Amino acid sequence: MSSNLKLIWNGLIPENPIFRLALSMCPAVAVTTSVENGLMLGLAVVFVQVFSSCTVSIFKSFIHPRIRIPAYVIVIALWVTVIDMILPVISPDVYKKVELFVKLIVVFAIIISRLELFASKEPLIPSFFDGLGMGFGFLFGLCLIGAIREFFGTGQLFGYDILGFNPLLIMVLPAGGFFVIGFIMAIFNWFEYKITGKIPTSGGAH
Amino acid sequence: MKEIFKITLSLTVVCIVASLILGFVYAKTEHARKLNDERIEQQTIQSLLGYGVGAKIPSDLKVYPVYRYVITTEKGETVLGYVLPIKDNKVALAEMDLSGNPIKVIPIPVELSALADKATRDDAVNAALPKGSKSIYAQTIFVADQGGKRLGYVVPGVTQGFKSFIKLMVSLNPDFTVTGVAVTSAEEDPGLGAEIQKSFFRNQFVGKTIELLKKLTVVKEPLPPNFAAALDPAKAKAKGLTPEQVKEIKEKHLKDNIYALTGATISSRAMTNGVVSTVKKFVYRLDKLNEAIKKEQLSVAF
Repeated sequence: MSSNLKLIWNGLIPENPIFRLALSMCPAVAVTTSVENGLMLGLAVVFVQVFSSCTVSIFKSFIHPRIRIPAYVIVIALWVTVIDMILPVISPDVYKKVELFVKLIVVFAIIISRLELFASKEPLIPSFFDGLGMGFGFLFGLCLIGAIREFFGTGQLFGYDILGFNPLLIMVLPAGGFFVIGFIMAIFNWFEYKITGKIPTSGGAH
Repeated sequence: MKEIFKITLSLTVVCIVASLILGFVYAKTEHARKLNDERIEQQTIQSLLGYGVGAKIPSDLKVYPVYRYVITTEKGETVLGYVLPIKDNKVALAEMDLSGNPIKVIPIPVELSALADKATRDDAVNAALPKGSKSIYAQTIFVADQGGKRLGYVVPGVTQGFKSFIKLMVSLNPDFTVTGVAVTSAEEDPGLGAEIQKSFFRNQFVGKTIELLKKLTVVKEPLPPNFAAALDPAKAKAKGLTPEQVKEIKEKHLKDNIYALTGATISSRAMTNGVVSTVKKFVYRLDKLNEAIKKEQLSVAF
């Protein structure tokens, strides 16, 4: 069990998809103008990542190695479409909120990279926890960026007015996304430098 | 050579399995999804007419749908067909040419409520038409009536957004002043273009008369803060604005153009063009339709 917990921890901080692996940066900049947006996209990614990781892990011996990438894309697209069809039936109100985010997911680099690097080699249970960890890491990253941008850009959090004025409008504009991600990445690297004493190489482990 | 067959076969199998799963899920969820969509559409229409979630809908409020069809006659001419609700729960198809002159009226022997389903309606219209003519469904207009008094109209429209089409609904009062705008489906970017669905943007259109709409453009200026607060009911409450103050601020800004959303000028323009063209077309068509109804002396239900 401890190794599974380690996998989740690994996705959250040491191999955080946004701040350490620098994957799926496009949605991380575009969507995170508020915490709520970050939370919705993050949740959608958690589901798709876990389902896709499990599927690929179960069927890995059937997938011919030379067509693995198209096969992974089909698996991801399948889960995205299935969620997109089932969610409006289960809960139309939730679907109305996440509709836009679910459709974005098919082309996320983080999902396909986890399938390629982890799920295609490991058994089902570690793959499940790796998917969960990566999903939560992505969720955490989006919420953190979203919170900083929403707070400094509009003076709000979760849509509730806290400051009552806009301190730095640039934060909700696309440029603000780059600033925030850059600074958080720098903080992550600074911590790594303090702990290990080595200057971090570009990106994360991969 | 053997390898290539293996790869082809393997990928084909993956695709077939995936499509089978998708087909199964689609077939299982289609009905429920359709019902939900209809329910959401009804709710949107009601909230546009001023009866939002939780509000009590008066029993004498009636919303009549009017379906517009484009018909190609057996001679190859293009005419318009309106499926109209007639008094005593009857339905008729009124044909008119493109400049609005009525041609003929064909009764449809189906109840109005049954026509809400598109397939049934298409069949009914095609059965009513002479052989050799074709009909294509174009649009549904909703006419709201309360106790014999015209309450307003709800008109759907489509506009080209940033990535795909934005579907919207505009409600008008009998003088063609916008009373509400709703976005029924859009795929704009979250955080940028998707802000068109927020009430502070949509409510900028409210109160615009047809004269104002004709000149309406988008300006790239920041939305004045007190106007923004007045446009969003939740914000107005938080700021402690009284309804009189809200009304006053809105009146002051009534003749303003639409303030573009930060970072989403294209979506803002798309919405503005969509609302303006939807209303303009609707006013033109309704005028023609009313003329035709008068000429043919139809006793329509609304």
